[in-house]
Amino acid sequence: MINLKNDRMNVRFPEICNEYELNISFQRTLRIPDDGNDHFLPPSLGKFPLRHIEDFDLVDKEHLKKRGGLIMPMFQSDALWLSFNCRSKRSIDLPIAIKVATGKINAVSGLKWENGLDSEPQNYLVVPDQPWLDGFNVGRGTVRQFVAAPLGEGLTVEEQINANSDVGGIQFEFIPMKKEYFEKLKLEAQTEGSQEFHDMRMMSCSKMSIDEMGIGAGGSMRQEIYEDEHGIDAWDLDNTKRCFITLANAEQWLSITGEEPPMSPISSEEYTDAGLPWFDYFDEDKISIEGAEALSDIKSIKDIYKQKIKDLFGGGTSSQNQKVHDISPKKKGNISNGFW
Amino acid sequence: MNSFGSYIREKREGLVAEDKSKSLRQVAITIGVEPAFLSKVERDIVSPPSEGKIIALAEVLNEDPDLLLAMAGKVSSDLLAIVKARPQLIGELLRELKEQPDHAVLSVVRNITDGDW
Repeated sequence: MINLKNDRMNVRFPEICNEYELNISFQRTLRIPDDGNDHFLPPSLGKFPLRHIEDFDLVDKEHLKKRGGLIMPMFQSDALWLSFNCRSKRSIDLPIAIKVATGKINAVSGLKWENGLDSEPQNYLVVPDQPWLDGFNVGRGTVRQFVAAPLGEGLTVEEQINANSDVGGIQFEFIPMKKEYFEKLKLEAQTEGSQEFHDMRMMSCSKMSIDEMGIGAGGSMRQEIYEDEHGIDAWDLDNTKRCFITLANAEQWLSITGEEPPMSPISSEEYTDAGLPWFDYFDEDKISIEGAEALSDIKSIKDIYKQKIKDLFGGGTSSQNQKVHDISPKKKGNISNGFW
Repeated sequence: MNSFGSYIREKREGLVAEDKSKSLRQVAITIGVEPAFLSKVERDIVSPPSEGKIIALAEVLNEDPDLLLAMAGKVSSDLLAIVKARPQLIGELLRELKEQPDHAVLSVVRNITDGDW
């Protein structure tokens, strides 16, 4: 079951592990410069609001409700990353395979959406191994940032792969580990101990119709997408959950929901100039997958605009004064998590 | 079950090994209380702080605010408003759910729909 609380999607499979909950939130962040360099991971500037789509009058877009799921506001060129946070009480974390797509183009494999899992190429990520996803898997250890763009202008990744596509939004499928595999994993964990991940990128810090948004590719950053170390047979394909996130233009959010949309974030230059941290994360115990061949040639929003109207966005400067926090997990053996 | 103070101390100390911003001092500054006060809360010398501070603490420690509020013997103001709006009906519902297993309770929580896409 998937429910919504405090702008987080909570995914549970109580028939496999009653005490486990996966929280997924959509983190607002800085748009990193699209300057040909690979950047560090940007921080969280708070969560995007999430609402049940069926609770609002969508006027001439009422048909969108048949997709179910949630609705979320984004300004054009807003950037986001996905946070996968595990909350378990006494048992170890239940591994879950997650497929992520934008406009029904898989963000890990670059292929068109199909239900189920593939291992060649791997079209999913695995939590708790993967704490975040910031963008499209364009190369080993490199992603291109998720950036909101209006549908219909050829800026989104889905429109680059299929010019007629008008799906928009973000799609998820969650596949839990089979119960028998999970029981075995728990037994193994009792002898090995396990690592606990802590999320450190969180900074403490008259009716209109809606314009649908999709996701385009922004600047490039360093992020590994890890290989599934459990194997494809470990996943319970008879017990999957899906969710469609419709993206609404934030300028219309007040009209749709009666709520103020989140403010557009500060620029990456302003953030760096204030001496605030960027992040680096690398788990040397895990193997990262190859970049998706189908995504290797996608153009960034800036490149597309360059072609269209000569660099409308302008881009940012490379942040040479960035303060970087290495938040990679420590080597196994350094941290003991005990049995609880 | 742990007391409120020992529970948050255990959670915070579990996090601080990897993230120095979870030190007692930093957490206290983040939620807007004196470090000495938070230290007393963690040792159960003083009562748990206000609802707002507990919610802020839940955010910093990545804990469920409802869980921390319940451990502190408090009910969040939004839940109180829900009960006040329909006291008999909500009271009846809660009594009915009291003996039910978790999966039965979860079945009445509103799920996110999945449709045709």
